[in-house]
Amino acid sequence: MGIQEQYRNEAAELLSSGAVKLVIGYGGGSTPDRRRPVFVRSAEEVSRLVLDSYCVANLSAYLISEGLLSDGKNVAVFLKPDGIRSVNILSAEAQVNPDQVVILGFNIEGEQTTPLPGRKAADYAPLMESLRSSGLSPELQREADRLEQMSAVERFDYWKEQFAKCIKCYACRQVCPMCYCRRCIVDVNQPQWINTSSHTLGNFEWNIVRAFHLAGRCVACGGCDRACPVNIPLRLINHRMSKETLDIFGHFPGESADQKPVLATFRQDDPETFIL
Amino acid sequence: MAKIGVFVCHCGENIASMVDTGKLVTTISEHPGVAFSSEYKYFCSDPGQETVKKAIRENNLTGVVVAACSPRMHEQTFRKACAEAGLNPYMLELANIREQCSWVHTDKIQATDKAIEITRSLVEKVKRNNNLQPISVPVTRRAMVIGGGVAGIQAALDIASAGREVILVEREPSIGGHMAQLSETFPTLDCSQCILTPRMVEAVQHPNITVMTYSEVEEVDGYIGNFTVKVRQKARYVKMETCTGCGDCIQKCPVKKIPSDFECGLGNRTAIYTPFAQAVPNVPVIDRDRCTYFKNGKCKICQKTCQIDSIDFEQQDRMVSLEVGAIVVATGFQVQNTALYGEYGYGRYKDVITGLHFERLASASGPTAGKILRPSDGKEPETIVFLQCAGSRDAAKGVKYCSKICCMYTAKHAMLYAHKVHHGKTRIFYMDIRAAGKGYDEFTRRAIEEDQAGYIRGRVSKLYEENGKLIVRGVDTLLGKPVEVEADMVVLATAMIPQPDAKEFAKRIGIGYDEYGFYNEAHLKLRPVETATAGIYLAGACQSPKDIPDSVAQASAAAAKVLGLFSKEQLEREPVVASVSDSTCAGCWGCVIACPYNAIDRRDITDRNGNLIKRVASVNPGLCQGCGTCVSFCRSNSIDLAGFTEKQIFAEVMGL
Repeated sequence: MGIQEQYRNEAAELLSSGAVKLVIGYGGGSTPDRRRPVFVRSAEEVSRLVLDSYCVANLSAYLISEGLLSDGKNVAVFLKPDGIRSVNILSAEAQVNPDQVVILGFNIEGEQTTPLPGRKAADYAPLMESLRSSGLSPELQREADRLEQMSAVERFDYWKEQFAKCIKCYACRQVCPMCYCRRCIVDVNQPQWINTSSHTLGNFEWNIVRAFHLAGRCVACGGCDRACPVNIPLRLINHRMSKETLDIFGHFPGESADQKPVLATFRQDDPETFIL
Repeated sequence: MAKIGVFVCHCGENIASMVDTGKLVTTISEHPGVAFSSEYKYFCSDPGQETVKKAIRENNLTGVVVAACSPRMHEQTFRKACAEAGLNPYMLELANIREQCSWVHTDKIQATDKAIEITRSLVEKVKRNNNLQPISVPVTRRAMVIGGGVAGIQAALDIASAGREVILVEREPSIGGHMAQLSETFPTLDCSQCILTPRMVEAVQHPNITVMTYSEVEEVDGYIGNFTVKVRQKARYVKMETCTGCGDCIQKCPVKKIPSDFECGLGNRTAIYTPFAQAVPNVPVIDRDRCTYFKNGKCKICQKTCQIDSIDFEQQDRMVSLEVGAIVVATGFQVQNTALYGEYGYGRYKDVITGLHFERLASASGPTAGKILRPSDGKEPETIVFLQCAGSRDAAKGVKYCSKICCMYTAKHAMLYAHKVHHGKTRIFYMDIRAAGKGYDEFTRRAIEEDQAGYIRGRVSKLYEENGKLIVRGVDTLLGKPVEVEADMVVLATAMIPQPDAKEFAKRIGIGYDEYGFYNEAHLKLRPVETATAGIYLAGACQSPKDIPDSVAQASAAAAKVLGLFSKEQLEREPVVASVSDSTCAGCWGCVIACPYNAIDRRDITDRNGNLIKRVASVNPGLCQGCGTCVSFCRSNSIDLAGFTEKQIFAEVMGL
């Protein structure tokens, strides 16, 4: 029995037993290599679920849909390790109750999709530990290093050019599980701190604010990068911030459901390298 | 329609010499909303304030900008003036064109342009200011004094004698501090113990003072008038309530060779001990790390000896939470040790000692019973060399400051030595003799003229041992000749330094410190005993090197500040507090964690049937200190700070 079959059965069982009211998973997309989210509410529908190496989106973002969990009923969701980390952060930030989330965990290695044992976020603690010890993505680091080697002026020009493409569609925000504010700061116009115009200042303001709001919270699922219709390499900005918080504060986002937010906590031994 | 008055202060020459105030006034008078503008030499003076008040009344001003010094200097002054003229005091802004402009620039044209920008930005801000009303909070009229040295004792006694409760916390087993270690005190040569011990007893017996010895402050929460302090009462293993201080246990303790801190290592103590015979309270403690029972599980001789069963090996550290309204920090100092000096033998020579060692040698209660005997062989030294500024005023040793007391105690040491060893010879190497203080210069003159203290102006380059003598090589800069002295003992007037954990402690209780670790006062000249944290005051050498008279004077000053605070039941607090927008708060609780004052709680919003709609963050205005940490943390921009609202700050930035 393949993993897809196994998880379809599991989803059917969860639904028919009433253990969950909804299964959020992947279904066929508009092209053979695309998957789209499907929301399965009865055991009869589980055949719509697809699970293979194209299932890359971080579905945890759907958990924060307004009102979804307010009836106290459980929801099952297909998640890769990055998604499990997102659930941990959302739990730590009181946006979801981890007891209400049943995780159908899986991993993708090349073409292979393998199941991850465990059903609750807390079951994945050993996985989180191994993820932490393997650190941030070396591929992203290689890409980031290329930018690090540029002079400040060159780097500024690079990002100016990248951000100039930004059309302020906020797809990066919509896809991100961390962007759960009911009113985003960019929508505040009294006063309008963030310029929505497509000039250099406005472009930088939005993208830098987004990066700061993700500092110590991004799990590198790559959702924003894939969602961006003009291909701004947002992953590199997020990676840079993650590296910073890991190097300075030893903070690996989404390690556990009781992890404190890195920018809101203070320890006696925090380095003070930013004080001149 | 805004009617803003702008008042440009010359601050004597402080501002006017670098900023063209006339141009500033003309330019700003044309800015939209400015109804009145003028300049004056000193707006903070009485006629200056009158000008402001008159202008408010005559022009019906809705807001005031005083372009002058930093708000820390005169915000209160002008708020009061505004209030007296009938304007809400929070309709005032200070445009800082002194510290942030005239003082730091050398080009008058640029400085003037900058002053115009700063003033304009504050005009834009003040247009959006709102009337604010002060917040009243209750005051817990009980004080805590941290540190039981002479400063702490004095502060506690003064507060207690005025009828307020005091908790005196000391981390050592006895109060008394460094003063208890001293022999005689300058400039009167009265015995330190004789003047201190009665004070110690008075403190411990005072009905309004609770003395907590062997206790350390772990955490300070809250704010002026309403602090919660967590104190760790370390396990003494001796019952305070029953122990009579007979000392039998100390006599019988088999571990006798522990170098005593109180004796600076010149004498020994036992594992169960009081630091000194006149300790207050006279209740011993067991040094857990040295006690045979705690190490091997056998012994308990003290317990067997104790006739009233006061030894309790099962005692645990106890955490006590105390509510106080004010805190006096009097944590004292340490003496730099001799090991720092390569040129003086890195602390290898037994007969190279610090001034504090000498105090113990000269003290009647000391290890030699007041005889000056050198530590290496117990012989009476024939020649003693004193080196002043050993570490102090020496950037290379990391101490740029003057330790202030060394000139005086060195003169005293020379005198005491001359009184005890009549044929003894002293040589004192000094840089300058700093004897400013009542009776101080007379005292050093007396040392020179009556007690033959031999002063040599110059530094010592090298010190080494040869044939049982210490050879001191230096230079006499007045004669311009090298000198070499054969000494039996050398006393280094090593620098007075902050406690080793001073910085960490400051962070724990939330006060500032300087590059060395001495605690910062709110204003060096005008607020010397207050810290920048309201409700926390300083006394003694934790702030800077001080002698006994200075420490005592500052302690009484701190006590006066505390009593001033306690004179009212309610305290008026600035209404600069944060508030949360319920509709946009996402309930991530980041602000709850970030708030350094625990001022933010979770609040349920329910419908009329009591069903939960959402939970939001909610600021307690009584606890909020207006620091703005939550404002900058909040991702959805749901928190605003009264007096510094987003709209005000935005207008201020855009006004630049």
